[in-house]
Amino acid sequence: MKILIADDELISRRLLQKTLERAGYEVTAVENGRLAAEQLCPPEGPRLALLDWVMPELDGPGVCREVRKRNVQSYVYLVLLTSKESKGDVVAGLESGADDYLTKPFDPEELKARLRTGLRVLNLEDRLVEAREQMRFQATHDGLTTLWNRGVIVDLLRRELERSRREHVSTAILMCDLDHFKSVNDTNGHLAGDDVLRETAKRLLSSVRSYDFVGRYGGEEFLVVLNNCNPAYALARADEIRKAIAHFPVQTSSGPVSVTMSLGLLLSHEWGCLPLEELLQQADAALYAAKAAGRNCVKVAMPKIVPGGPALQAHEPLRMRR
Amino acid sequence: MKELEKVSSNLTFDHGELLARVDNDRELLHDLLTIFKEEFPRHLQALREAVDSGDGKRVAVAAHGLKGMLLNVAAGQAAAAAGRLEQMGCRGEASGFQKAFLAFERDAMTLLPQLDACMAEVH
Repeated sequence: MKILIADDELISRRLLQKTLERAGYEVTAVENGRLAAEQLCPPEGPRLALLDWVMPELDGPGVCREVRKRNVQSYVYLVLLTSKESKGDVVAGLESGADDYLTKPFDPEELKARLRTGLRVLNLEDRLVEAREQMRFQATHDGLTTLWNRGVIVDLLRRELERSRREHVSTAILMCDLDHFKSVNDTNGHLAGDDVLRETAKRLLSSVRSYDFVGRYGGEEFLVVLNNCNPAYALARADEIRKAIAHFPVQTSSGPVSVTMSLGLLLSHEWGCLPLEELLQQADAALYAAKAAGRNCVKVAMPKIVPGGPALQAHEPLRMRR
Repeated sequence: MKELEKVSSNLTFDHGELLARVDNDRELLHDLLTIFKEEFPRHLQALREAVDSGDGKRVAVAAHGLKGMLLNVAAGQAAAAAGRLEQMGCRGEASGFQKAFLAFERDAMTLLPQLDACMAEVH
């Protein structure tokens, strides 16, 4: 465990350093508060620190305040070490953000015990952060494929559409559906079906740019959002995705399974300011058109004026079995 | 360490406490005493100048530094004298600086040869 010692007094520094190195700490020692704050404020800095109260440049409580001001995830456990001992000093030290307070000259065993307390606090904090991150991941990702879940991918699409409208660029919406997936499950079992879904997710991710979004929209349905892309790129990318899925069989627990994918493509700039829900409907309609055209292909949602009807309409929804 | 124990009576520093603090590490003890010997005169001079200036804040800062050094070598008596000067400095009691400084200097002068002897033993 890394620990920072900040003390302007050389004997103290040397004594603390040796005591803590013996106890297994990786010690960095500095001689003033400014250097201490510089070491502690970056996210990768030490998470344990022993700070002398009276130091040049910046005193111990000043270092505590600077460390607490920063807005990073990991907590730093701060112990003030000083020969001051009045109650007012203790209160001021703790109010500045210190976690503990030790009076000089320190007793080595007490020092080590207090630092072990600090380690327990940091360990607990790590576990809480990990649990929170796990919950955050579970709340935003699909458990099987680890892609964004439906709620998140739709939200990301909404934000991307708003941005593309502001910046007058086009966002491509790809509604993708595995062909005959029910028969994959029926023939090979649901475990093999899960393998196919996982592998499909991998192939989708590897077929798009790092800043595009891929989510699981439904059972075997996926939504891909290609940010800031022109129509030619979008169509080429959609076909690359189709090929990536069909190119070679998926290795499943029941052996290799060949799958194909149908895709409906919609380019946002061609559709004016229609609401998100309607754009999704139109992308879905294009997907159904791809299914109707024999599957394993891409169809583009084409806006057209319908007299007396909605301002823009694409393919008639074809409610055929996918 | 046996030799050290023989000379522990009448010392103005706590020999046992000092050994415990370094976990009986003779090399570390030697290092600390070497640092002390090198640093102490400079700090003492800074305190002397602060006392002569009559500036309470300077006296408090210089005395505080010396107190810390002395506590680290378990020299409680001299550390207490430095602590008194620190308090007087904080309160701005300039009229008592010279007398308190002389008392501190006397304690320090008694301590230094004892630390020298200790250093020679651990070398």
